[in-house]
Amino acid sequence: MTVSSPQGTTKVATYCYQCVAGPDLLKVKVEDGVATAVEPNFDAEDVHPAAGRVCVKAFGLVQKTYNPNRVLQPMKRTNPKKGRHEDPHFVPISWDEALDTIGAKLRGIRETGLLDASGYPRVAASFGGGGTPTAYMGTFPALLAAWGPVDMSFGSGQGVKCYHSEHLYGELWHRAFIVCPDTPRSKYILSFGSNIEASGGVCGIWRHAAARVEQGVKRVQFEPHLSVTGGCSAEWVPIKPKTDAACMHALIHVMLFENARSRLDIDFLKHRTASPYLVAPNGFYLRDPDTRKPLVWDLKTGRAVAFDTPDIDPALDGDFIASGLEVLPDAELVTHEGVAVRSAFGKLLDHERGFTPEWAQGICDVPAATIRRVANEYLDHAEIGATIEIEGRALPYRPVAVTLGKTVNNGWGGYDCCWARTLMACLVGALDVPGGTIGTAVRLNRPANDRQSSAKPGVDGFMDYPFNPTDKENWISRPQIRNANRTLVPLVANSAWSAALGPTHLAWMQQRHGFESFPEPTQPDVWFFYRTNPVISFWDTPQVAEAVAKFPFVVAFSYTRDETNHFADILLPDCTDLEGLQMLRIGGTKYVEQFWDHQGFALRQPAVPPQGDTRDFTWISTELARRSGILDIYNKAINRGAAGVPLKGPNYDFSLQPDRAYGVEEIWDASCRAASAELTEGAEDHGLEWWKEHGFRTIEYPRLQWYLYPHLVDQGLRFEMPYQERIYRIGEELGRRLHESGIDWWDRQLTEYRPLPEFHDFSHLIKHAVISNLGGRDEDFPFWLLTARSMQYSWGGNVSLQMVREVAANVKGHRGVIMNPTAARKLGIEDGDLVEVRSPLRETRGRVVLRQGIRPDTLLMVGQFDHWITPYAKDFDVPSMNALVPMLMDLTDATGSAADIVPVSIKRIGGTQ
Amino acid sequence: MTRYAMVVDLRRCVGCQTCTAACKHTNATPPGVQWRWVLDVEAGEFPDVTRTFVPVGCQHCDEPPCETVCPTTATKKRADGLVTIDYDLCIGCAYCSVACPYNARYKVTRDTPAYGEGRMPNEVKRADPARIGVATKCTFCSDRIDYGHAHGLVPGVDPDATPACANACIASALTFGDIEDPDSKASRLLRENEHFRMHEELGTGPGFFYLWEKKQ
Repeated sequence: MTVSSPQGTTKVATYCYQCVAGPDLLKVKVEDGVATAVEPNFDAEDVHPAAGRVCVKAFGLVQKTYNPNRVLQPMKRTNPKKGRHEDPHFVPISWDEALDTIGAKLRGIRETGLLDASGYPRVAASFGGGGTPTAYMGTFPALLAAWGPVDMSFGSGQGVKCYHSEHLYGELWHRAFIVCPDTPRSKYILSFGSNIEASGGVCGIWRHAAARVEQGVKRVQFEPHLSVTGGCSAEWVPIKPKTDAACMHALIHVMLFENARSRLDIDFLKHRTASPYLVAPNGFYLRDPDTRKPLVWDLKTGRAVAFDTPDIDPALDGDFIASGLEVLPDAELVTHEGVAVRSAFGKLLDHERGFTPEWAQGICDVPAATIRRVANEYLDHAEIGATIEIEGRALPYRPVAVTLGKTVNNGWGGYDCCWARTLMACLVGALDVPGGTIGTAVRLNRPANDRQSSAKPGVDGFMDYPFNPTDKENWISRPQIRNANRTLVPLVANSAWSAALGPTHLAWMQQRHGFESFPEPTQPDVWFFYRTNPVISFWDTPQVAEAVAKFPFVVAFSYTRDETNHFADILLPDCTDLEGLQMLRIGGTKYVEQFWDHQGFALRQPAVPPQGDTRDFTWISTELARRSGILDIYNKAINRGAAGVPLKGPNYDFSLQPDRAYGVEEIWDASCRAASAELTEGAEDHGLEWWKEHGFRTIEYPRLQWYLYPHLVDQGLRFEMPYQERIYRIGEELGRRLHESGIDWWDRQLTEYRPLPEFHDFSHLIKHAVISNLGGRDEDFPFWLLTARSMQYSWGGNVSLQMVREVAANVKGHRGVIMNPTAARKLGIEDGDLVEVRSPLRETRGRVVLRQGIRPDTLLMVGQFDHWITPYAKDFDVPSMNALVPMLMDLTDATGSAADIVPVSIKRIGGTQ
Repeated sequence: MTRYAMVVDLRRCVGCQTCTAACKHTNATPPGVQWRWVLDVEAGEFPDVTRTFVPVGCQHCDEPPCETVCPTTATKKRADGLVTIDYDLCIGCAYCSVACPYNARYKVTRDTPAYGEGRMPNEVKRADPARIGVATKCTFCSDRIDYGHAHGLVPGVDPDATPACANACIASALTFGDIEDPDSKASRLLRENEHFRMHEELGTGPGFFYLWEKKQ
């Protein structure tokens, strides 16, 4: 647990996983029982991808522990009226009273039924930070697993604050819940709004810094404002907001029509994608009538043959006359004899022909010459034909990559940009190969800790994908949760993550009004939330507050008072980061840019005693399980691995007895022993004390696992590019099912299910959607309001920490609204002036920060503030765009997400302070 | 001879302020006092704009102006290049703060807890009354360097003997070391890269070098 330090104090090994870019392994300096400092864990220097370094957010953990504004004992609301302006009159209560109250509610639900009259779970739960709360909530996941149906569809930022389209389409196309460059081997990166230096964590920053200096990578940043990442890039291209799709189409046009075909990776396109598949007249593949395999045109024999016929040379492009079967939606069959067909690649050419750089220039405000040059530079760096040896195996080496930021790849245009990015990789054979555009993790496919194993053979030579059914017999017509994810979004699959990746705003919107032909909207009987503050972090935050205020019983795991627990009935103060005990799986490939040569586990252990009467989350979970009468299934869930590590394996068994309430250390001691045994095939069974001393334990992780390409080759599989026959089919089927049920309010979303993305001016589309729903004139809202991640704050739940506030202030924009000086001058606005920023929904106020690094038609509000309860943060007086962005069906894309963008006006209302 | 210096690679720095935070932890500086911090510098006019992140702090000059003006000899130059302040001798006149061209010196006149009146346990533990009413600044973590020398460690190589900011940097942008030692990483970086020092024209001889481009 401790080692000697220069000052003779102790250092405790633990981890920080406050954001998705973690975990960071660190040490806490403890002097006489008081945590005084955080520092890197240099014991992990040879194991961790960033040599054991720690993100700035982790340095807030000392203040987080001792923050005088913490909630330090359970509290209950005594004012039954809930509202923004109603004082909850929280009063302290004992843990027994708090847990008995919750336990009674839960027991009552089990007696009444887990589902309500509308078929929705009576218990709901919301978590923040892209799943990272699980690294702090001990065995609570086991409690949820034991409970049965829990509605996790009330979003706290998902869909508008995440890389939503990338999550869904990325998993479909290359098992890439997150997509990133193979940075250490890349030489040319096109970044469309990906603010990796603010969101990539220590591993992302470590890798990109090394790439810039040691391998001279050139990164071109397309973004309306000069972000931290733009500042660190070789070139900044100030593109008009939400027009990235046009630019990317034009880049593809240049590659396809202004360069010799030999500059593309023809072999990759022919044999590792569906480019040669023949498309029949109705838009679906032409298939072999017997095997139903898609056909390709074999140049050797001059006839159409099944795609997997040995020793063929499939034609990439061309029009052919062929016969075969076409399978339409709902398995309707059409037999074709001697019909004109075109290859998928040919369809692509037809689709992209009109997207010239000159066309794109008029939409995205990027000079045609720049688009042309960048496209050619991308090809110049692709090194078609090159190979690299990874662990003894020769793989293609394509050092070019494309990345997308969150406002680019969610909402309208997200499909287009994700598709274009993946296609650009395929054109040069750079998809999931060394140097190229690669994936990091899976969350919708299974198993979740192994991308390769999740890529199982499916139909038509592609990876299988767990689409939610759209056929007549199996379509889930009655939503299982309040955001209707499996009913409306076939791509969202059915994993533990699928609820949070559905159209989460629909759950909130339905609290105001129901949707036609849908079950009656209901409120959850009990709503838990942890490490999230959706009344601040969602869109149209006053509407979220209005909905939460109506929830009958809200349990908030609380660090401080905040804007969401303002509406709670019970506050439960859990041990924070440096006080609790938990084991976490680390290593492999994860999230943003975590690529490890190791895998294993790390321990989060109490560096200092809990403050006040806060309790370990595992203790709270066990007590809730006991008091709600599900202790036995809760223990069985822990045994199965619901708390992170299965307690029984081929060579070991540390299972808990079902009927006993175990102590916190007992549970994690068993987990430690199981983790040791799992890593060593039963050879080791180190208990909690060993892990406290050492902090982490790893074994090697093969680098070949970083890339999907070799696995696809071994399986004889192809990437599902460029033509989206499956997307087209499920969209048609989904439309039929919805219309059969009398639902036409999802029709706009159905238009996105095209085999090749149908271009729209998404900038115009979004503005029109906002104004047509809320009123106003185009000319009244001449600016685009955007946001950008703050590394110091993102996901951290750390707005109440003085030190974080202090150091973040060194990064421009944390104190107001960033605006271009020329645009400001025209409106008589000077640096520091108080301004009102108004969207068609409502207005907010803040101070102007003038910066040259932003387009004149764009405003920027960094992070998410606007707090009115959270201690310390409520005095920031810094605006947030969240209150200005409406929740609208017209802004929702087919995946159920919308973009963080809204048209606004700005006017001066006061001078500098 | 030894000359400790900080080498900053401007191509690597992302302005994350991890060094700022690490310094605050290690040296227990009060709110508003940042011995190490990173400037966010914009240059040019839209659309031809650059944004650069520049770590700053005491430059540990060869000819420190702060030493020259100090009326009590509290500020001294060590043989290994570090500029130090003897809090027992400092009278808090702040001449040094005015003289420093790098805006590197601070003086706080009262205890300022992070959250208003009450001090948190970590603040109680780390409180140092000797720093009230006197000049303070980056020490290059001289206590760690001295500890390292006493225990056979190499500053700039061994974490326990290296300034906290350099240890903590998540971009490997800060390299601390002895630039009189040709084998140190700091020396190698200076040999291989174009570099400058801030306000070189003032003749202060800063011990802070900024790399900006590989030598041709």
